[in-house]
Amino acid sequence: MIRKKAIAIAEKHIEFDDRIISANGFISRDLFSISDAKPTFYMIGSMGLASSIGLGVALKNPGRRIFVFDGDGNILMNLGSLTTIGSLKPKNLIHVVFDNSVHESTGSQPTNTNFVSIEKIAKACNYNYTFTIRTENNFEKILRKIKKLKGPIMIVVKIQQSNEESSGRVNYEPVEMKDRFMSHNL
Amino acid sequence: MKEVIQRKIFDYLLKNKIYNFVGVPDSTMKHFIDQGLKRNKILIATREDEAIGIAAGMSLFLEVSEEKMLRSNSLVFMQNAGFANSISTITSLVQLYQIPMIFLIGWRGFLEDDAPEHTKIGKIQPKLLNALSLQSMILGEKDWKKSCDSALKLIREGKSCALIIPREFID
Repeated sequence: MIRKKAIAIAEKHIEFDDRIISANGFISRDLFSISDAKPTFYMIGSMGLASSIGLGVALKNPGRRIFVFDGDGNILMNLGSLTTIGSLKPKNLIHVVFDNSVHESTGSQPTNTNFVSIEKIAKACNYNYTFTIRTENNFEKILRKIKKLKGPIMIVVKIQQSNEESSGRVNYEPVEMKDRFMSHNL
Repeated sequence: MKEVIQRKIFDYLLKNKIYNFVGVPDSTMKHFIDQGLKRNKILIATREDEAIGIAAGMSLFLEVSEEKMLRSNSLVFMQNAGFANSISTITSLVQLYQIPMIFLIGWRGFLEDDAPEHTKIGKIQPKLLNALSLQSMILGEKDWKKSCDSALKLIREGKSCALIIPREFID
């Protein structure tokens, strides 16, 4: 599965009442190019903090499902976040890590997920449910299944690099994008 | 700073609609943090940039107060060593997206004979704040309320700022 396909599958299973916090780099660009229909906080910069922003949003909006779209390089920068999430245990947080084991946007240098399992770390950090997904069918199945489960939930989606041209940048100004995201919370 | 003043500062900020207190502990402000823990209002993060990320997420929420919608304003507390760790997060999240918050910073290296690891950062801290265009107010035992009021005014206007507690003793 390539990232763009994986993100398209995840996006399809997200409802308008849910919220997405999308990590900087190709993840946000792919999501934006696939669909901008669901209320999304697209990050540019502050690499590593998607799960922290997601935690803050989740704590304040206990009635909504909050999806964090993260990358392996991103979460490896902020592993402490897993312990904070696992301590506070927000039931509504779904942490999806698109894991290609490289820093793709900087030239595909390897990351440590070649050797260490993020899923196992999340499990050790008290996430209620953790999954590692390798196929599209399985990803669809898990996304349906988690509707009945209490978080925090981690889904590691193993993806391959693709030769496709990368998606364009998110074309909102950051402040405009934030105001738009906040207006959905009214 | 005296214990009683630190506790008063926490209660004052809470009363004045700072909704979220997130950070990494610093002994210079331990009574402030303890007051917040007693009131079940403190969230402890593992690193200061993580704390800022959590606070930013919380501040994307709107609170209802006296039938008005208010941004859920946050304070992030840290030692100045952690402030140095947070600069990229301040520029590329807090300032880029204009998510205002108050930084409460413990000023180690304020006294020249503080421990050696604090000397350099203590010296350049005012310049760093200035380079980031962050207005900062020092919390004194007598005029702490005035500094808090300035910070509250700035955050209501949508501007981030810093409240500074100097480390006035050597342990």
